[in-house]
Amino acid sequence: MNPLRPDLTHWVGAANYARALGSLAFWRALRTTAIFVVGTLPLTLGLAYVVAALLSRVRRGETLFRAAIFFPATLSMVVISLVFKSLYAEEGLLNGWLAALGLSRVHWLQDPRLALASIMAMDVWASVGYYAILILAGRKTLPPEQLEAARLEGLSPLDVERRIVFPHVKPVILFVVLLNTIRSFQIFIEVFVLTRGGPLESTLTLVYHLYERAFYHFEMGYACAIAFLLLLFVGAILLLQRRLLSRAPSEASAS
Amino acid sequence: MGARGHSVVARIAVALSLAATLAAGCGKGGSAKQTVVFWQFSPIETIQPVVDRFQAENPGVLVRVEQLTWQSGREKIVAAIAAGKPPDLCELGSTFLPGLVSDSTLADLTDDIQDLKTELLGWDVATYKGRAYAIPWMLGTRALYLNGDLLRRAGLHPEIPPTTWSEFAKAVAAVDAVDPEVKGFGMNSGEREIMFKKFMPFAWGNGGGILDSTLTRSVVASPANLEALRFYLSLKPHSLLDRQEMLEESFIRGRLGFIISGPWLLRKLPGIAPHLYFEVGLMPRPAADKGTPASFAGAEVLGIFRGSKNRDGALRLARFLVREENAMPLYIATGNAFPAASAAAQDSFFIGHPRDRVFVEQLRTAVSPPLHPRWVEIEEILNAELEEAIYGKKTPEASLRSADERINAALKQAP
Repeated sequence: MNPLRPDLTHWVGAANYARALGSLAFWRALRTTAIFVVGTLPLTLGLAYVVAALLSRVRRGETLFRAAIFFPATLSMVVISLVFKSLYAEEGLLNGWLAALGLSRVHWLQDPRLALASIMAMDVWASVGYYAILILAGRKTLPPEQLEAARLEGLSPLDVERRIVFPHVKPVILFVVLLNTIRSFQIFIEVFVLTRGGPLESTLTLVYHLYERAFYHFEMGYACAIAFLLLLFVGAILLLQRRLLSRAPSEASAS
Repeated sequence: MGARGHSVVARIAVALSLAATLAAGCGKGGSAKQTVVFWQFSPIETIQPVVDRFQAENPGVLVRVEQLTWQSGREKIVAAIAAGKPPDLCELGSTFLPGLVSDSTLADLTDDIQDLKTELLGWDVATYKGRAYAIPWMLGTRALYLNGDLLRRAGLHPEIPPTTWSEFAKAVAAVDAVDPEVKGFGMNSGEREIMFKKFMPFAWGNGGGILDSTLTRSVVASPANLEALRFYLSLKPHSLLDRQEMLEESFIRGRLGFIISGPWLLRKLPGIAPHLYFEVGLMPRPAADKGTPASFAGAEVLGIFRGSKNRDGALRLARFLVREENAMPLYIATGNAFPAASAAAQDSFFIGHPRDRVFVEQLRTAVSPPLHPRWVEIEEILNAELEEAIYGKKTPEASLRSADERINAALKQAP
């Protein structure tokens, strides 16, 4: 459907879906998006967990640390992207540090091998705080008596973490995984501000591809088909994740 | 979320403009005034005085001006057309035009503008198969900026910019050698929409092109284009590869010898880099006795949608806006693009502003990309293949040949 000529709109059946599934550009964009999701999720989750664990041990100035960690979540993604655009610039802060160390410049966003990784790093930075606070909230629901008892039993801090805290916050982690998966599949703003899909299409994610089809090529019907396919993919992955992650604790409790 | 944000803004904007149109409709009963809804990109304070003068000359017409933004204007226009409520008169960028023309959303103005043919430049951007679908309003082009201090350090004379490819290549290499922190030339990369705009001037100047005169066949793999691409890529070892915005920033910081940019930089530089000594020159030509100093020509045109309720009023406003004395204030204020009115070149403003004059001269040899219904696709192919060549993934021959094949395949599909 062309929005400029609604009068020419006609029923095409599943043609747009067939076209998407047969399009190399679609699969490439999906692959790039999948790399983004798979690359950021474990890192974000791992860091968020560690940060939450550290925050729970802070005795003084907890509010200050919590606020500092949570701060990126209060910023618009556009603002974060603009800040990172100047950090990643050829003469930006990062390259300035490298130069101070006597290292050569890195083309963060101009090197097709690095551009996606640079965006992923930014995304991890931007989302760790938010998820850390969620996990921290999960930890806080653990009764202190339980921890105290474990310690009296002589469990090492690592064992306490592994056998008591982790199983307790597992539902929160599941929630974080689902939330982050959905969000990561939708990545658009970062690409729009930083790279516009380039260089050499290395950051052309599915939603950016969809945007180009809709607003540059005026193929609204096709863009909608891509959006629906994305919905199906994300839905399927979420179901799978839920299965995998919620199975583990029941096994643990059975043993 | 950005896309969603845009569409919400677009929807609100459509709703507002609808309300404005409705309100205007209600007003009609009381007075005999025609209302013309005019969407454009200049700041309201710049355009309003011009519109006020129009209304003083045409008491029967009431103009409602709205400002579009470069970020979301495109979406807003698309949404308005889709909703069946387009403005009466609309400023459109020349790159946006092919899609609108191919979908015949714009009114054919050929018979209304015969007398303007000689008064305005830039008709080729608005003409498809001999019919004019918009009126050229402002023309934009790019020229060569050079850092005078760096050129001096390289033993060159900034007052005499390089005029040929070989002079240019030598100057770029010489500037690159003066300081490890400095690069000779700013080469665009990583921004798919812009690469062909920077490369094609070299190809056009060398007699190359994108489509043949019948617009049915690609001429991208021509020897002239290949020679130009080889030359362009020979600058790469001495160049900083980055997006336009970043290249301009490097130039402002005095780290780049040459960049290609538009007249807007003339308005910007004195304020943000008062100590930067720069000059502006024409784009280099292949050789003193060969080719032209071509550049990219873009245009802002005025279009009337087929759904317009007030074609006469819109046309009258358009004819008023394109007049030299009405377009010149916009150029002086924004520096974005020159009046399409050919009389503007004689404006006294250019006597006191020699750097602006370079752009007027550059316009004479500037070329605009062909107006073709499948242009967006052609542009995408061209950019993608050029990027492959710039990043060294393909040889210049292979990238142009592949672009040629892909463009020809795209041309074969029904428009």
